[in-house]
This record gives sequence, C-alpha cells and structure tokens, in this order.
Amino acid sequence: MVKVYSITTCPWCEKTKKYLASKGVEFEVRNIEENDEYAEECEKISGDTAVPVTTIDGKNFVLGFDKAKLDALIAG
Amino acid sequence: MGIYDFTVKTSKGAEKNLGDYKGKVLLIVNTASKCGFTPQFEGLQKLYDAYKDRGLEILGFPCNQFAEQEPGTGEEAQSFCKLNYGVKFQIFEKGDVRGETAQPLFKYLTAQKKFEGFDPNHPIAAKLEAALKANFPEYLEGDGIKWNFTKFLVDREGNVVKRFEPTTDPADIAKDIEALL
Repeated sequence: MVKVYSITTCPWCEKTKKYLASKGVEFEVRNIEENDEYAEECEKISGDTAVPVTTIDGKNFVLGFDKAKLDALIAG
Repeated sequence: MGIYDFTVKTSKGAEKNLGDYKGKVLLIVNTASKCGFTPQFEGLQKLYDAYKDRGLEILGFPCNQFAEQEPGTGEEAQSFCKLNYGVKFQIFEKGDVRGETAQPLFKYLTAQKKFEGFDPNHPIAAKLEAALKANFPEYLEGDGIKWNFTKFLVDREGNVVKRFEPTTDPADIAKDIEALL
C-alpha cells in the first residue's frame, strides 16, 4: 500500500495525491500535523519533517511532488 | 503603548499577551510560507537553539502579502512544505504586516524603527530592490515592511532596539542578540 505523509494546507501534498489518483494508484494519507505517530514515522523515513513523503515500504521514498520519481516508485 | 500591551494569536488560535515575554530578549519576524524556499527559517532556528536558554524568544508572524518566498529566490523551485515551518519557536496566526490592514503590532514596530535601506552587499539586495521597483514600487516608500523576513530586536525591557531588513541573514544578528543577553 502506498502511503503519503502530508500536512493540511500543503499544495504539494494535494498535487501528489491527485497525481497518484490519476494513475489509478490506491494510497493512504497520513497527516503528520494531526497524528504524532505518523510524524515520527515520517521523520524516521526521510530524516526530516518536510512533506509530502510518498513511500511503499517505508525505506524508499519520494520527497516532494516529483512525477518522474513517483512513477519510478510506483513501478517498483 | 508599549510592546507588552499587544495581544496576538498563536497559529493554533490561542490568545497570547506579549506581556508574557517580559524580561526576555525578543526577535520578532514576519515570515513566509511553510512551502517556499526559505533558508532564513533555518538560520532563525539556529539562533533559537543557540540562545533560548539565555533568554531569547523568536516570534514568527506568517504573512502572505509578499510572494510566498524569500526575495530573489523565485527561480529555485521547491516542491514540499514543512511541518511547523520546520522550526521550534513560536509561530503566530497569519496576518498582514504592512499598509492599512497591518496588525497593530507591526504598525508599532515600524513606527519605532524606520526603514534605513537594504544592505547593498547582501547577495539578494539588488534582486530584491529590482523586483520591488518592478512589481510593488509603493512598498519602497515609507517605513512599512518591505518583504518577508524583516526582523525587530527587542531588549529585556521591551524597547525595540534594532531593525534588520531581509538583507540581513539571521547569523549576522547573533552579535546584537548577545549584547542584550
């Protein structure tokens, strides 16, 4: 399952979610502003609290809205 | 009317009286968006880390009257945002800082400390001045806030002692902060 770590009022998070949806990818949104556990997970994955962070396995991740990198991540 | 008479709202909506900061050295800054290219946030966080134990508080006031970025950095695209702007100091509610609609605190600060020009030696100074002339020429007149990351230094007694334009990097304010601690 694809997870997108996000915060509210984050245009890049919205773009990432829309792009994944347009590719028919199912994903789970994890809001790190509202959930401290998600915030910790996100920081463990990327080493920072910048979002969006998109990941499948919690190891490989894409920081920010980057279509090419998102494509590669989805393709596995 | 002094700095401790103002009441503002935190980013979470709670009222905060600036009188609560009596006895602290304050650096009051109008900040940009949590999604732009904003290295001054990092510089401010470093100052906060270095001096908070000795009595420094940094108060950030987000404002979207200026393009959502630091001056002169428009071409450097960044496609992410930061939780809590990536900083640990207090961020307040978004509001205006210049013109008729400016928050009273910023009307007070800019009346206390006038605009004395940008530092021409700073790498963004020429770009910032050109961008203002082209897009917001009226911003260059008077003492109002010119752009994101204008900083006001307040001593432990509440006196506004110095104003730093966006063309002063946070690291270059360290010696002025130390002098007040």
